[in-house]
Amino acid sequence: MLIFKLAIRNILRQRRRSVLTGLSMAGGYMLFVFSISLLEGSWSNVVDIFTLDQTGHVQIHKDDYAKRPKIYKTIADNAAVETLLNGHSEVSGWAPRAYSPALAYGGDKTSVAQIMGIDVTLEPTVTRIKQKVSEGTYFDDQPDADGYFKAMIGRGLANKLNLAVNDEIVLISAGADGSIANDVFVISAIVGNAASFDRFGVFLPLAVAQEFLAIGGDVHEYALLSRDKHDNERLAKDLQAVLPMLKVSPWQEIEATFYRTMQSDKQGNYFTMGLIVFIVFIGVLNTVLMSVLERTKEFGVLKSIGCRPSELVKLIFIETVMLATASILVGLVLIVPVIMWFTEVGLKLDLAVDMGGVVFDTMKGDFSAYVILMPMGFMLATAAVISLPPGLRAARILPREAMGSH
Amino acid sequence: MKTVIETKNLARVFGAGETRVTALDHVSITVKQGEFTAITGPSGSGKTTLLQLIGGLDEPDSGDVLLSGANIAQMSGAKLSDFRRDHIGFIFQSYNLIPVLSAEENIEYIMLLQGVPEKARKSRVREMLALVGLEGLGDRRPSNLSGGQQQRVAVARAMASKPDIILADEPTANLDSATGIALLEVMRDLNQQMNMTFVFSTHDYKIMDRADRLIHLEDGVVQLDEFRNS
Ligand SMILES: Nc1ncnc2c1ncn2[C@@H]1O[C@H](COP(=O)(O)OP(=O)(O)O)[C@@H](O)[C@H]1O
Ligand SMILES: [Mg+2]
Repeated sequence: MLIFKLAIRNILRQRRRSVLTGLSMAGGYMLFVFSISLLEGSWSNVVDIFTLDQTGHVQIHKDDYAKRPKIYKTIADNAAVETLLNGHSEVSGWAPRAYSPALAYGGDKTSVAQIMGIDVTLEPTVTRIKQKVSEGTYFDDQPDADGYFKAMIGRGLANKLNLAVNDEIVLISAGADGSIANDVFVISAIVGNAASFDRFGVFLPLAVAQEFLAIGGDVHEYALLSRDKHDNERLAKDLQAVLPMLKVSPWQEIEATFYRTMQSDKQGNYFTMGLIVFIVFIGVLNTVLMSVLERTKEFGVLKSIGCRPSELVKLIFIETVMLATASILVGLVLIVPVIMWFTEVGLKLDLAVDMGGVVFDTMKGDFSAYVILMPMGFMLATAAVISLPPGLRAARILPREAMGSH
Repeated sequence: MKTVIETKNLARVFGAGETRVTALDHVSITVKQGEFTAITGPSGSGKTTLLQLIGGLDEPDSGDVLLSGANIAQMSGAKLSDFRRDHIGFIFQSYNLIPVLSAEENIEYIMLLQGVPEKARKSRVREMLALVGLEGLGDRRPSNLSGGQQQRVAVARAMASKPDIILADEPTANLDSATGIALLEVMRDLNQQMNMTFVFSTHDYKIMDRADRLIHLEDGVVQLDEFRNS
C-alpha cells in the first residue's frame, strides 16, 4: 500500500528524531508493563497467601453468618451442596467447617480460643494447613488409645497456656442446644506462629467439633477454590444462582476491607502510570506537530492535487500509530525477559515478611496477556488520539501554500 | 470545441486599508478544449492569483469560475478536493514532488486517490513516463533527478489523473533556458497529441512564443488577449 510506504518513509525521513521519539515511547511502555507486572504480581501473591491460608476463593454460609456468626446459623442441606461442589468443573477443591468460640484450659492457665472444626482430608485440598504444622504431626479423626480425640492448636494459645505437643487441653463452650460443652483433647500439633490469624485457634476433626457443639451433621461454612482464581467472582455468582437458600460470597466480599485497600492502591498506581504515559505523549505530540509544520508546503501540494483533508488526517494517524507500534514492539522484546524472570524467579527481599506463618520473601511479577496487552492498547489509543491535532492542522493547510509564497 | 474554463468578473483583493492590493480586477476569460494558452505579465500582475482561482486553490471575492460547466467558486471541502483531483492537473514552479516517493510513486499517488485499480495505475505510470521521456528513471527519488527531469515528472503526474485541463504556474522559471524550452516542447506535444488543454504563466519571451494564445495581465486587468497562428 502506497500510503503505508509514504508513512514509513516519512518516519524515516528525520531518522534521529523518530528514533528518539520511539525510544521515549518504548521506555514508557516498558515502565508501564514492568510496574503493572510487579503490581499485579505482588497483590496476587498476597491474595494467594490469605486465600490459601484460610478463606479460599469462595465461601458458602447460611444467611449472614460471614458477618454475624452465630452457632445456630448452620448449613443443614450438606448433601446437596457437596454433590453440587463435587460435580462442578470450576471447583478444584472444597472443605466444610464448623466454628465456635470457647474457653481453653491448660494446667492452671486459661484463655479464650476459637474452635475450628475441619475435615481432616478435605481441608488440605483448600488450604495449606498441613504445611503450617510447625511442631508435631497433622492430626487424624480417630481417638487415641485412651479414647481422647486429637486437636491442633495455634502458637499463641500454646504459648499462653504453656502447652506442648502431647499435652492435654480442656475446652469449654456452649452447644447449639444451650447445653454446656466440655471435653479433653490431646494436642497432636502446633500450627503457624504467634502472628497467624489462627494463633488462638483450636482445630478439631469436623465430626468431633459437630458432636461437641451439638450441631448434628451441620456445618457453618464451605470454603472452596476456583480452578481459575481470577474468575472466582463469576463462580460465586453461578453457585449463588443454584443455592438460593444460602449466601455465596467471593473472597472480595469476605475480605472487603482488604479488597478496598488493594483496589485503591492499584488505582493509585494506574493513575501514576497514566500520568507518565501522558508526559511521554506530550513529547510525541510536539514532535508530530513539528513534523507537520515542516511539511506545510508538501501538504499544500497534496491538497492542491486533490488529496482530501481527511486523507491527510489519515496519513498523520498512520505515521504516528506506526511509530508507536514499532516502539512498543521494541519495548516488548526488551521487557518480556525481565518480567518473565520476575515471574519465574523473582527478587529476593532482604527483609522477609511473615504473613501469619506463610513467608513472603520474594517480589514476584505477573506475566499475563493483560500485563502485556493493557499498556499496549492504552498507548496505541493515546497515540491515535494525539495524532489528531497535528492531523487536523495538516488538513487545514491551504492548498495555495503549494504555489509561490508571498 | 467545448469550453473548459469560463471566468466571469473574477475579482480578488488582498489586505485592507493602506496595504490593500487588487490582485485581479473583474477578469472574464474563456478557454476552450485543446488550447495552449500563456498568461503573461510583469511580476505582481496577478498571474498566480488567476491560476489559483481557476484551479480552486483560492476563493474569489466576487465572480464565478466555471470549470467544465461546474461552478467551483461554490464548492468546498472534500467536494472541491475531489473536483481538483479528477478535473485539474497542476504543475508548480518549484516542481513540488513528494520527496520520499519515487518518480513512479509520485505519478501513481494521485491515481491511488482516485481509486484507480493497481494494474491500471502501474501501466498508466509507465505510459506517462514514456510520454515525458523518462523511461528507466521511474524508481529514482526527486533528489536524484535534475530540475528538468523533476518538472517532467510533475507534468506526468498532472497528466496521470486524466484532467480536463493542466494549470502551470511559471513551470520553466527554475530551469535554464534550454531545459525550459525542452519542457515546454513536452507540454506542447502532449497538447497536440492528446488534445490536452494547458494554461501556463510565464514572463519569458521564448516560452510565450510557443503558445497559441497570450493573455496579458497588468495590475490585475487583462490588457491583451490574442490568438496567434502557430
Ligand atoms: N496572499 C497574499 N497576500 C497579500 N498579497 C498578495 C497575496 N498573494 C498575492 N498578493 C498580491 O497580489 C498581487 C498579484 O500577485 P500574483 O498573483 O502573485 O502576481 P504574479 O504571479 O503575476 O507575480 C501582488 O501585488 C501580490 O503582492
Ligand atoms: Mg506568480
